[in-house]
Amino acid sequence: MGTGAPESPNVLVRSRGASHLQRTDKRAGLSLLTPAGIVILAVTIFPIVYSVIMSFNNIQITQNGFRFQFNGLQNYKQVYSAPLFWHSVWFTVYYSIITVAVELFLGLLIALAIQNVERLKSVSIVIMLIPWALITVISAQMWSYIYNGVYGVLNAILQQLHLIHAPVNWLGQPTTAVISLMIADIWKTTPFVVIILVSGLQMIPKDYYEAARIDGANSWQSFWSVTFPQLRGSIALAGLFRILQAFGIFDLPFVLTQGGPGTATTSIAMLGEETLFTNLHFGLGAAVAVSTVILILGACLIFLSAFRGMVGEEAQ
Amino acid sequence: MIKPLWQRVLGYVVLILFLLMIILPFYWMFVTSFEPNTDISAYPPAYFPHHWTVSHYVEAFGQFHFGRFIINSVVVACTSTFLVLVFSSMAGFAIARLPIKGKRPMLIFLLIISVFPPIVVITPLYMLMRDVGWLDSYQALIIPYTAFNLPFAIWILRNYFLQVPGALFEAAKIDGASVFGAYWRVFLPLTKPGLFTAAVFTFVADWTEFFMALVFNPSNTMRTIPVGIALFSGQYTVPYGTIFAGSVVSIVPIVLLVVIFRRWIVSGLTQGAVKG
Amino acid sequence: MKHRKKAISLIVMGTSAVALVVGCSANTTQSTGQGNASSGTASVKVNSTGSSHVVNYKNASGTIVWAESFTTGNLANELVKAFEKKYPKIKVKLQVQPSDTDTNRATLTTAISGGSSTPDVYMGDVIWPAQFANSQLAAPLSDYLPKSFWNRFSNGLVSGATYNGKVYAAPLFADTAFLYYRKDLLAKYHLPVPKTWEQVKSEAAQIQKAGGARYGFVWQGADYEGLTCDFDEYLADAGGQVLKNGKADLTSPAANKALSFMRSLITSGVTPKTVDTFQESQSENVFTQGNAVFLRNWSYAWSDSQTPSTSKVVGKVGVTALPTFAGHGSSGYSTVGGWDLYVNPHTKDLPAALQFLDWMTGTQAQSILAENSEMPTNKTVADSKSLAKYSPVFALLPKVKFVSRPSQTPEYPSVSKAIYDNVNEALAGSISVSKALSLANQQIDNAQSSGGL
Repeated sequence: MGTGAPESPNVLVRSRGASHLQRTDKRAGLSLLTPAGIVILAVTIFPIVYSVIMSFNNIQITQNGFRFQFNGLQNYKQVYSAPLFWHSVWFTVYYSIITVAVELFLGLLIALAIQNVERLKSVSIVIMLIPWALITVISAQMWSYIYNGVYGVLNAILQQLHLIHAPVNWLGQPTTAVISLMIADIWKTTPFVVIILVSGLQMIPKDYYEAARIDGANSWQSFWSVTFPQLRGSIALAGLFRILQAFGIFDLPFVLTQGGPGTATTSIAMLGEETLFTNLHFGLGAAVAVSTVILILGACLIFLSAFRGMVGEEAQ
Repeated sequence: MIKPLWQRVLGYVVLILFLLMIILPFYWMFVTSFEPNTDISAYPPAYFPHHWTVSHYVEAFGQFHFGRFIINSVVVACTSTFLVLVFSSMAGFAIARLPIKGKRPMLIFLLIISVFPPIVVITPLYMLMRDVGWLDSYQALIIPYTAFNLPFAIWILRNYFLQVPGALFEAAKIDGASVFGAYWRVFLPLTKPGLFTAAVFTFVADWTEFFMALVFNPSNTMRTIPVGIALFSGQYTVPYGTIFAGSVVSIVPIVLLVVIFRRWIVSGLTQGAVKG
Repeated sequence: MKHRKKAISLIVMGTSAVALVVGCSANTTQSTGQGNASSGTASVKVNSTGSSHVVNYKNASGTIVWAESFTTGNLANELVKAFEKKYPKIKVKLQVQPSDTDTNRATLTTAISGGSSTPDVYMGDVIWPAQFANSQLAAPLSDYLPKSFWNRFSNGLVSGATYNGKVYAAPLFADTAFLYYRKDLLAKYHLPVPKTWEQVKSEAAQIQKAGGARYGFVWQGADYEGLTCDFDEYLADAGGQVLKNGKADLTSPAANKALSFMRSLITSGVTPKTVDTFQESQSENVFTQGNAVFLRNWSYAWSDSQTPSTSKVVGKVGVTALPTFAGHGSSGYSTVGGWDLYVNPHTKDLPAALQFLDWMTGTQAQSILAENSEMPTNKTVADSKSLAKYSPVFALLPKVKFVSRPSQTPEYPSVSKAIYDNVNEALAGSISVSKALSLANQQIDNAQSSGGL
């Protein structure tokens, strides 16, 4: 890479050479941060602290609001001793890993395709955004209508193509239910990845490709020497926020399977919601939520370090 | 740069294949929104409706005041998206390019906020909203939407600001530009794809948010589109036609938005603008 | 966790309400009788803590907000208009709620636990009183209303809204399940209207075999509250119950018979295997498309099946009381469904709210409900001869036996989940009937002792 290369867009890397910048820059920086900081802190700090506190208390709803009764780690103990909790953690983890991996792969493929065509670019972007812009509950209802075992269109198509003989009970069997959810999820959120990657591709200066071409690189080589290293910041960003959303999966199973059959598709977010708002156990529900946060943060950090390592090797 | 023919052909093939896969489910929803109720659960289904009707649209707008929901959604989503863009580009620029301490904790903190499940913060947030007297108002949604979308937008824009070569910043300063001037005149125009991305994601997130809108704005005149559509369903009935009609309409503003701003992302940077 | 013990003792009391028969007087919270399906003869006793709390609302005025989850047309508007005409000093503002029970409960809980004074009055499910009372989300109405107020309701309804001796909700309308059948198909194949489940199965199979319909019998088997309703009916028909002396009783032969039968409907092909994803709307769609002979559904399905814009079987549908198992009486049990009116404990205008409640459960409002095919809870209206003209299902009511869900515990949602999760899994064929029942049994007892997850 030439000396004119932009600084590494690595996520979570301290920017270098800060020392020589003047103090005015520092002050300007702080004032630029202030508006966002105020809004974020004003809205989020109280609810977050409040819910963390809730998770260490036995909460009784009374006429005068919540009555807190400190009970230490009791809520967490109860949550961690419930088989359903671990079951839902396991479902959420493997579900998220598979969907995000597929989405990143497909997203990269589609983004490169868009990059490589002259026409259809804007049309593609517009069409891509439709699934993403659909209200999640509605898209879930759409899929439930498509997957329906009696009058769903999917069975009709597959039967007319003679791919299946009898209607498949997509959402009523554990394996097909999980796969059906994944397909609906991938359909809806791959566009998220595509948009991030397409705009990331736009940021790669064209002369890098030119330089690679002059060096005699073929398309495959220039992908690995220019595109991928330049894009890794965007891939990391897309992956990071997809992991974050995937671990919070709620609407799709809520509408499509209600967590069933049995508990086969019960996600950790569904469990949290159920504990809070169906069973009205706010302390326990908060403990589930805080555990979720820790789980997702862990997943994000693992992803970031793994991703950086992988890219580091490839780039050298 | 001219790409080899095979590369372009492959691009078209992949793209069209995926576009079809994306379109098909939506096509099915679109068609269903024009079908009379008796045809909706018929089997085998008609891939192209035998009878067309706009009755579901009439019902959505007549019986359920869908027009009002759209106005509310537009006001809330546009305001919040605007605020997020302004605040996040400032903060993203500062984190990417200015010598501030504690960037790493800041980014992690932002991540934590995005991770926190809305279901658990909604109860304390409700109390907060009630105490400041904001229930049943636009700001009851605009402010939380702005706050919860800022972290992601800051992350995105920080990423793009980092991709703009640092030398440009130095050059602008040598030309006598202030920090703010460099941000406004040099960096913002160069990060249009990032701004587009952040805007689309914020807008879509606001546009589709359900639970806060349902709880914070309970009066019928303050409902947003997702809540409005949820109210179409009966206790035992799922009126697919009307629900799908509402969602087809709900897509239109987003499509318009993307059509207007598409140049920001598809043409992106003019060639060679980002040279070191 | 003091209230837990209380909850357990309540379940003991509540057992008697597991199965109660309309026509007999209601079980009460005082009664500790065994859940024998046709016992329970004590009269309603409401612990009103003296007359000092009773609110005089005769001159009430002001504005109240009513959260309603009617979704059929303009019924709520019609009711409010009639009320405001009668009581011009009180204005009622409508707040439309999502009809999904869980989402509805989540919004109400957030608002009321957050101290909101609105909605002043809200509609809630008949299975909420214990939970809402325990979390002080509902005002103890029996403290504010005279004892005589509760005499207007049909038998058994008030005890369902009672928790710890106080009444927390006023029954608004009831819901009952029926067996819908294709009378044209039964006539064509010379079959009688079935009186037993065995008959339903064999007649359905016969008609399917002859090519009369694609499916025999559709019902609600998805992983949700509705499955608890369906299961409870078979269970009561087989002579079983969910709780016995407060302990789960699903390892009984009756429970085995009930679930084995449900599963056999699927394995025999009478019921499509995808029924394990069916809620009310999906099962109804199959029936109104003309693809099934029999349908188990609530009373609303009658008018749907007779509306040409939604149904292809208009004029071909008959309705009867749910069947029972052979040798278990003349007709089967229906789960008690329906909606109550609750008052927000933070309301700033209790008199107006009570006046509204009074009128809504009085004869005028209840007649309006009946005209709109909602089953009245007011005895005078429910027993009147003219009721049957609004819907043929009303004429069947005297034949119906009722079974209540074990909702007298604040942990009812977990109890119900233990039932529908495992029953659903058995319907999907992932676990055996006996395994499902023993798991459900164990989880119900867990739910009652520790609750929460």
